[in-house]
Amino acid sequence: MAEEAKTQEEKPQDKRPLVSRVPVKDKEMLDLLLADRGVTYYEEMKKFPVDTEAFKKTLDASCKSRIRTWLKICAHCGMCADTCFFYLANDRDPKQVPSYKIQSTLGEIVKRNGDVDTDFMINCMDTAWGKCTCCNRCGMYCPHGIDMGVMFGYTRGLCFSQGFVPHEMKIGSGMHWIFNAQMDVTVEDYVETCEWMVEENEEYYPGLTIPVDKVGADIMYVVNAREPKHYPQDLAVAAILFHLAGESWTVPSKGWEGTSLAMFAGDWACCKQQVENVYAAMERLKVKRYVGTECGHQHRATITEGPYWAGRKSGDPPVPGLHYVEWVLEALETGKLKLDPAKKIKEPCTLQDPCNYVRNHGLTDVTRKIMSYIAEDFREMSPNREHNFCCGGGGGMNGIGRYRKERNIGLKVKRDQILATGTKFVVSACHNCWDAIRDLEEVYKIGIKWSFLKPILLEMVIVPDHLKPKEEEEGANE
Amino acid sequence: MFKKILFATTSSAICNDASNAAIELAKKHNSKLYIFHALGFPTRGFGSHVVDFKTGEHEYYSPEYVSRIKGEIEKTYAAQLKELDNYTIETLAGVPHTEILRLARKEEVDLIVMGPHTKEDKGALLYRSMLGSTMQGVTQKARCPVMIVSCPVPKEKLEFKNIVFGTDFSKLSDAAFIFAYDLAKERGSMLYLFHALDITPGIGAAIFGQNEIDKCLYGIKDRIKETYVSKMEGFDNYNIRTWEGIPYMEIVKFARRKEADLIVMAHHSKEKDPDKAIIGSTMEQVVMRANCPVVSVNRQV
Repeated sequence: MAEEAKTQEEKPQDKRPLVSRVPVKDKEMLDLLLADRGVTYYEEMKKFPVDTEAFKKTLDASCKSRIRTWLKICAHCGMCADTCFFYLANDRDPKQVPSYKIQSTLGEIVKRNGDVDTDFMINCMDTAWGKCTCCNRCGMYCPHGIDMGVMFGYTRGLCFSQGFVPHEMKIGSGMHWIFNAQMDVTVEDYVETCEWMVEENEEYYPGLTIPVDKVGADIMYVVNAREPKHYPQDLAVAAILFHLAGESWTVPSKGWEGTSLAMFAGDWACCKQQVENVYAAMERLKVKRYVGTECGHQHRATITEGPYWAGRKSGDPPVPGLHYVEWVLEALETGKLKLDPAKKIKEPCTLQDPCNYVRNHGLTDVTRKIMSYIAEDFREMSPNREHNFCCGGGGGMNGIGRYRKERNIGLKVKRDQILATGTKFVVSACHNCWDAIRDLEEVYKIGIKWSFLKPILLEMVIVPDHLKPKEEEEGANE
Repeated sequence: MFKKILFATTSSAICNDASNAAIELAKKHNSKLYIFHALGFPTRGFGSHVVDFKTGEHEYYSPEYVSRIKGEIEKTYAAQLKELDNYTIETLAGVPHTEILRLARKEEVDLIVMGPHTKEDKGALLYRSMLGSTMQGVTQKARCPVMIVSCPVPKEKLEFKNIVFGTDFSKLSDAAFIFAYDLAKERGSMLYLFHALDITPGIGAAIFGQNEIDKCLYGIKDRIKETYVSKMEGFDNYNIRTWEGIPYMEIVKFARRKEADLIVMAHHSKEKDPDKAIIGSTMEQVVMRANCPVVSVNRQV
């Protein structure tokens, strides 16, 4: 601590340190971090001391029997090696074996009871974020059921508590603290975007609305901040499909964001406050069900893990939570949405199974049933379903500049999986996967296309007669 | 008519014709000019990197980068902006057409001015489907008229003394008419109300004899009178012309013959599915071939 105080004293009074053990909760600090390219940030980090006393306390309070047992019983058998896409993509580098990665980081921290130094913590950070996407695939194959993904999630939390967190992740959790969203989109911005999207589309879909804060609706729809920020059409298409399906639905003003970069960052306190926002909206609006957009980690944060962060004993959110694909399948099976079979995708296509709602939430068959409605020639990747590999960009990996090279190497596994299907079209109902696949094309240029489900559905959906715009007078040439 | 003009630019030479037109228009109309440049696409989701549109390089999206790009834009247009007080330069990272539409809506602009495409190869103009997706995205959804400038426009032509309004009698054409008429009234222009009877030969298509064509054209003239002239209160500086042929070709030919300063058309006419109405093919061809600016109208203003 004394060392840290000295470091801070040496700085000009008007310059706040960028690295710290506390989350970013004010706009000024957020702007300082945003203005930094990460260069000063990582330079500062090299001199940032570990508060070993605080570290011990954190371990005492949070490192329970499950983690300690897992670390102890690991037989170092190496069964997890082949399960990790980073190991495969890096020419089977032993340093990429999941058990090695966790034993050399968290294992050492626990063994030394937090008595570690700065260099060690930087290596921990580089491993927890740069060599693991917390996809949890290794956990499926470990004979003891040890889940390195879960342990790296925990390790990230320890790193965060000591200030050793990638630049973009520190910013990401800061965004959640300040905006209750992963990006700087305010409630006003969001509501405004909803109004805008209605204006743009109501002419073509008479009666289209995006009901904000409608109490008692059947569905509360929650999005990923990237949608209002960069892809508002996604929100428009969601609204059109709900409209055509005749759903009673709403979007909350407060609590509209379902994602959690705080989860990727390991900022536990922020995870809690973020998900509580969404739960508060569910309760305030007295909705029957929650539907989250086409995002994997949003589902993990709000539906799978969120209830535990919020201290909900039931392990469930306040109302049943559906991923968007579950709503789509329900709408197709009940006939709320009818697709024109003639418009099915003709070319061979494949499907990306997002780890967060397939391996970690069991929605394996849902997307496949949807594919049967939309594709004439669907071809599975191998391996697939819960055995599928991470896209290569999960766990925050896509967003971290420091690990761009590592991420791009990791993408080779997904690239080869896609190439082996012989298809040129990948359906991906997850923002992170969609991004990774797009970047994969940018890096390796294998000539593929990729799409979320919504644009495909909009292309195929049959608009009921009563929802069609009134025919205009025909032109003279017709 | 144009209190607020939004000029969307790639900030490269390809937008020079559009920038000249936008800045001149702003001067003539004492408009507030918003010069907007989407400076990069945020490829990394929540990451802080963007792909610079000009260089294709990955850049860190920092306030420093934003102010550098703003400075470059200011420098690019410095000479033209000298006599213009009321302008602002806006930049941000995002999907260009989304951000252009967002800004246009926020500032309630009356006109968006932009170039036709972002490809440097002028020869590409000869081919279909070379319109930049940004322009397509903007014209598809914009609530205000969009002026596409794909050729050099001398200052005097921006007086819009000769306006050609091309119609196919669709509902959107009514909106385009209102824009053309209001502008003609304000500028004291000659307004040509033009329709081209489509006699494009096709398999199984009827082949018209000249007598039938003439008969049709007379009918169309009456329809123009009934539909548009009836709405022009006391304005008599107009001319009705009906030609036969391939519509886009005839409009372009007519505009050239009349040395038109502006062509005004509906964005799309027959296509009711908004996602397919990327841009009417007639409009698309006219934009690429016309030797004057073309205004696309997509909404009743």
